[in-house]
Amino acid sequence: MFRYIVHRLLLMIPTLLAISIIVFVIIQLPPGDYLESEIAELQSQGESVDEEKIAFLRQHYGLDKPMHEQYVHWLFGMVQGDFGYSFEYNLPVNDVVGDRLFLTVIVSMVTILFTWAVAFPIGIYSATHQYSWGDYGLTFLGFIGVATPNFLLALVMLYLANVWFGTSIGGLMDPEYIDQPWSWAKFMSVLEHMWIPVVVIGTSGTAGMIRRLRANLLDELQKQYVTTGRAKGLPPGKLLRKYPLRMALNFFISDIGSLLPSVISGAEVVAVVMSLPTTGPMLLSALQSQDMYLAGSFLMFLATLTVVGVLVSDIALAILDPRIRFEGGSTR
Amino acid sequence: MARTPGHRPLMLMLAAIFAVSTAHGVDYVETPSLVDQVAAGELPPVAERLPLDPAVVTFDRPDMFPGEHGGELRILMGKSKDIRMMMVYGYARLVGYNQALELEPDLLRDIEVEDSRIFTLHLREGHKWSDGHPFTSEDFRYYWEDIANDSELSPFGPPKLLLVKGDPPTVEILDEVTVRYTWARPNPNFLPALAGARPLFIYRPAHYLKQFHGKYTPVESIQAIIDRTGTRNWAGLHHRMDHPYKSDNPDLPVLQPWKDITPPPADRFLFERNPFYHRVDINGLQLPYIDRVVVNIADNKLVPAKAGAGDTDLQGRYLRFDNYTFLKASEERNDYQVRLWRTARGSQIALYPNLNVTDPVWRELVRDVRFRRALSLAIDRVEINEVVYYGLAHEAANMVLPESPLFREEYRDAWAQFDLAEANRLLDEIGLTERNKRGLRLLPDGRPMELVIETAGESTEETDVLELIHDSWVKIGVKPFAKPSQREVFRNRIFSGDAVMSIWSGLDNGIPTPEMVPVEFAPTSQVHLQWPQWGQNYETGGEAGEPPDLPEAQRLMSLYVAWEQAESAEQREAIWHEMLSIFADQVYTIGVVSGVRQPVVVSNDLHNVPVEGIYSWDPGAYFGIYHPDTFWLDPERR
Repeated sequence: MFRYIVHRLLLMIPTLLAISIIVFVIIQLPPGDYLESEIAELQSQGESVDEEKIAFLRQHYGLDKPMHEQYVHWLFGMVQGDFGYSFEYNLPVNDVVGDRLFLTVIVSMVTILFTWAVAFPIGIYSATHQYSWGDYGLTFLGFIGVATPNFLLALVMLYLANVWFGTSIGGLMDPEYIDQPWSWAKFMSVLEHMWIPVVVIGTSGTAGMIRRLRANLLDELQKQYVTTGRAKGLPPGKLLRKYPLRMALNFFISDIGSLLPSVISGAEVVAVVMSLPTTGPMLLSALQSQDMYLAGSFLMFLATLTVVGVLVSDIALAILDPRIRFEGGSTR
Repeated sequence: MARTPGHRPLMLMLAAIFAVSTAHGVDYVETPSLVDQVAAGELPPVAERLPLDPAVVTFDRPDMFPGEHGGELRILMGKSKDIRMMMVYGYARLVGYNQALELEPDLLRDIEVEDSRIFTLHLREGHKWSDGHPFTSEDFRYYWEDIANDSELSPFGPPKLLLVKGDPPTVEILDEVTVRYTWARPNPNFLPALAGARPLFIYRPAHYLKQFHGKYTPVESIQAIIDRTGTRNWAGLHHRMDHPYKSDNPDLPVLQPWKDITPPPADRFLFERNPFYHRVDINGLQLPYIDRVVVNIADNKLVPAKAGAGDTDLQGRYLRFDNYTFLKASEERNDYQVRLWRTARGSQIALYPNLNVTDPVWRELVRDVRFRRALSLAIDRVEINEVVYYGLAHEAANMVLPESPLFREEYRDAWAQFDLAEANRLLDEIGLTERNKRGLRLLPDGRPMELVIETAGESTEETDVLELIHDSWVKIGVKPFAKPSQREVFRNRIFSGDAVMSIWSGLDNGIPTPEMVPVEFAPTSQVHLQWPQWGQNYETGGEAGEPPDLPEAQRLMSLYVAWEQAESAEQREAIWHEMLSIFADQVYTIGVVSGVRQPVVVSNDLHNVPVEGIYSWDPGAYFGIYHPDTFWLDPERR
């Protein structure tokens, strides 16, 4: 097991290097650079541009250097914990991302908890009452959740919440609490605003999870050990919790790999539509304006989390499920 | 306009009369929100905070009344970078446009101009920066000697706006409050540049910035700050701290009515009143009336929804004409008013035939004025106005608007009526008589006349209009195709000559006066989409691009130069008219409709915002020329 983990850890290095090259190249692919997009944006609003300053900035930011030099500079900075400089915010990347991470994590955690709270009972119910009216009805609801575009749902709910409850549109709290220290009133304001993104982001996740839980559980329920358990007189509830449900949870553990990065990035589209102070909109605008170090460093951060998440879920699976452990041991 | 020396004694006399009446008639009133700080000795009393002779605001518009201090104004912006708009709205300039679009001194007490080339600037005695440090000629010297002419801070020399034919001015510091700029040749661009929405800053808070300047501070002592801010050297640090326009450094002293106190990044920026602001009202109240401005950052697509929900007190940015009905619907519920201001664009949308296109066949055609006229004549502007703009716009060429003193009906109507017969006749006359079986005319090399029009792909408005243009153009045998791309690609394709024609908004300034630089009517810039290469040639001093080779464009260029050299207002006006008539007759750009309205949401608690206004970037600075420092809020909002 120890050798396996070391092996996996060493493998992460070339993986991340490859990702960093791809990320950097893709960000640089569109024509122009940050300064050109800024010039274009200013001029499209009729604003003039101070060319001398632009020339100075290009030199200062090193944008006039060849791409591989910029890459090496970025990579070595990152290894030392310096994620580069955000042109858009005129601040080091660390300072820009820091503030937003906290709220992003909160929104994502609550969303995940909401998803689980809704999906679990429904998934179990649909599997144990397969092809009943309840199964059909809940499945139908779930599919509506998947099929409705998130941004549309978000806009409709924003509008209704404003008209019915007077909730201010967009954001995670009333404007007067932004950048203020935490207080009870601020907490309540966050709660008042948070349910909309949580429900909107949650609906699509919920449906997927219901379907997977239902399918996995159905597979297990057909198996002989269930019949045996039932024949020996185990109460149905205990039987379900003790054996097939636990077996059906493997997918849940393997989801951790993708869960970690999504906790940090939040749901970008919904966050943009609802103007949430999370990292999603920031990443999007950084990509649009070719703020390359901000976008690049953030994507690298997500990539690292994904790689780590996959490792963690693999290890957890091996610990949880003896079958995986033994088979894995024999092949490696 | 700037006063000539002949008028000065009169002005001084008026100033003297005013000073007496202030001393004996009106006492300065302390601002309620600052009383505590004054009592605690943190701030000097109002009379000491103001310059000796502050600018006095006369309430000359009939819907404008003196107000009272206090309150918090909420506005919305789409990105944290947009807080630079506070610099625009604040509109405290050395000289600024008044509401009649004439230039008058603002931060300056007075300015003398000789032959359009010697400018003597008189500062207000006792004028202070927002941190209380005196604003003097040292701040001008610092900018000129230690920034503009410092080889590390400005490796490319002083800004081009300060050069006339490549020659810099002589800057003389005459005394504490007097600075003189002298050029060898006339520089009529100087004052408009100072008055711009994004002004030319020729002064800096020297006392603050010297601590980051390698010449005044040893680099070792600021190395820690350099490292912390992630800049490379002291020049980078100085540049980082010195953003007079972006207003994103809360420590940088300003002269504007409000100053930022929130360090970025943030989603909510607070701007607090500048206690040393130089303007007072007729009752002796120091402006601005409003204590604080709160700038909330929301995604720009959400701004109309938030405005409709009453989350803003004053909003024009990110609202579009097609939001009007939605905004109007919740007017009463959320206690605001939607006003329709006039925009100053020469045309809401215009087509730009690219005279520098590389395709030789198209190039020949696009350069033929008959072709451009035919295309313009074949646009049914009335239909477009009715369908897209509810008939509220004016059908017009891409030209100066009726609000401009240079307006003439013949410019507006030049080749802008709908006349298919004449358009067809012009195309036949060029020799494009061959048609294919779908009725499309054939180019001289046999290709069907399929005209690709590039768009930046950002607004459905452009594609809607193109759809309507398509319907009438096929009747003259020309088939347009819209090709959306992304903004930088769009511009680069035009600059390189790959694009035959593009669609973009019309003239930026449709309300020029003869004193403004006719920069948009001659090939002076690469961003002019109809002649990017010619413009680039002028901008780079002949190093890149190509010189204009059509006689009319050459004439425009020489008129532009003549305007810069002209010595009298009459000459400048005459030159303007000649340029306008050439520009209109040659149809370098094809306008569609102008005078489209801009919805402006104004809270019912907010006063002194004009009911009818012009919403324009430059001149205008959006709300700037209406001076938001004179806006005030109802008592319950204070």
